[in-house]
Amino acid sequence: MADRMVFDDREQFLEALRRLLREGVPGERIRVITPFCVPEVEEILPGTRSRVRFFALIGAAGGTVTGLAFTILTALSWPLVIGGKPVVSLPPFIIIAFALTILFGALSTFAGFLLLSRLPSLRGIRSEEEYGNAFVILVEEGERR
Amino acid sequence: MSTGEGARGNAEKYAKVDRDVLAAMKRPGRAYLAGLAFALLLAVVLHVLWAYQVRSGLGVVGKMHPVMWALYITNFVFWVGIAHSGTLISAVLFLFRARYRTSFNRAAEAMTVFALMVAGLFPLIHLGRSWVFYYLLPYPNQRQLWVNFRSPLVWDVFAVGTYFTVSLVFFYVGMIPDFAAAKQHVLGIRKKIYTALSLGWQGTQKEWRHYNMLYLFLAAFATPLVASVHSVVSWDFAMSIVPGWHTTIFAPYFVAGAILSGTAMVITLVVPMRKYLSLHDYITDGHFESIAKILLLTSLIVTYAYIVEFGLAWYGENIFERETFRYRLLGDYRYFTWTMLFCNSVVPLTLFARGLRRNTAYLFVVSILVNIGMWLERFVIIVTSLSHDYDPYAWGLYKPTFVCLGVDIGSFGLFFTLYLLFVKNLPVLSISEIKEHL
Repeated sequence: MADRMVFDDREQFLEALRRLLREGVPGERIRVITPFCVPEVEEILPGTRSRVRFFALIGAAGGTVTGLAFTILTALSWPLVIGGKPVVSLPPFIIIAFALTILFGALSTFAGFLLLSRLPSLRGIRSEEEYGNAFVILVEEGERR
Repeated sequence: MSTGEGARGNAEKYAKVDRDVLAAMKRPGRAYLAGLAFALLLAVVLHVLWAYQVRSGLGVVGKMHPVMWALYITNFVFWVGIAHSGTLISAVLFLFRARYRTSFNRAAEAMTVFALMVAGLFPLIHLGRSWVFYYLLPYPNQRQLWVNFRSPLVWDVFAVGTYFTVSLVFFYVGMIPDFAAAKQHVLGIRKKIYTALSLGWQGTQKEWRHYNMLYLFLAAFATPLVASVHSVVSWDFAMSIVPGWHTTIFAPYFVAGAILSGTAMVITLVVPMRKYLSLHDYITDGHFESIAKILLLTSLIVTYAYIVEFGLAWYGENIFERETFRYRLLGDYRYFTWTMLFCNSVVPLTLFARGLRRNTAYLFVVSILVNIGMWLERFVIIVTSLSHDYDPYAWGLYKPTFVCLGVDIGSFGLFFTLYLLFVKNLPVLSISEIKEHL
């Protein structure tokens, strides 16, 4: 069972968080729940940078490659000259590749977020705990250093 | 745990945000229901007339040689344009860290999604045989035929499809923390729905860390779409050789016009919403002033594009181009052109006066005029060029029929139906962002 501290005030919550760390509670044992994003928490409890960014990169790069490959290969599968233009007309194909870069990039970033945040979370959906606008610090069981 | 006065003050402020924003979702009043019923009626008209058109054929629409692209394409371009300022406000202003975006972003994102839904209908209605729309999609088939990726119409499918999907994801992602907040204030079936939509969001630091990264990237992905989607739509015209369409300035010209019309539509929607839902504490006159500045700026860019367009025709020594622009200004459709110039180029100039930028009633009137002007711009570009191109033998006038007009008016009904449903069922402001900036 975790130790739970609930605060109405943002400043007091941050103060308590700093105090806990000063007292030597390791950061990994502290879990924080806030009603909105509190950027200071990131400074006090530094974690690794979100890996969502890799999903963005891979998705976007995948979109570009798919867009180019798809247009070029389908054009080559039946090489028909249309309007006197080359069979592989890169300028228009880049438009398709661009659209797919954005599409795949955005969808993959969203998927990455869901995966890394473990959402949708059945535990979260079933949870009866509602903290409203309170700031919560949960300290997992363990010996203090 | 806390007892200080300041703490209680803050908690009270947060609770007030919840109360005020979620108050919008209370049982609707008569005015709302009447508005919804009217909008719904128009949306039904759209569908009935569409069914009639499908049954009878495209003849009933009044599309005749030489004007085969008419009101339906006007509406398609208009609605796609409306969508743009939603993305501008939610994504571009987010990257610029413009605080006032929090007042408008949710409404603007909803507007984007709904405008794209309506816009997407028009190419289908315009097709005539709407049920074969899937020919536009590249899918593996027995004949091994693929779509022609050199065609601007196929670019449109990709550009608008991407835009709709990304806007929808952005709209939804912005609401995840708000669903989690909203579910704590409602009961019954609504609680279940909001809980499911919140995906079990709790607000842990890990969730926020990934969420912030996601939001930043979605904004970054959506930002180029502001410029690209309407550029692609403009190339539907610019790639042809029709005089008045075949010009390189079309892409930036259309993008500026899209943001002008979209910003006007945001004002049209948010002024009554603020009044009806009493959101004066969150959407202030100062916020409207900032939006009015975007309107003014884009109006100046559009005016500049008009001047360049006429300048090119005059200077370009191409008799067809010159005749098209003479016809646009002085020909059969001159009143539309003059109204367009008045609404898009003259009326917004009054917004140089600070007092008028802060006067929401005045802004509302300006926004309606700009909407009319921007709709007319698309009409004028499409219809004057087609009705009066190279061959005088093929010249002709276009007159819409009641089916065409009914479908067009119905599209506004469909859009407002969706928007009114949004206002009563989803958080109209970004609760978590407002609290963050308190």
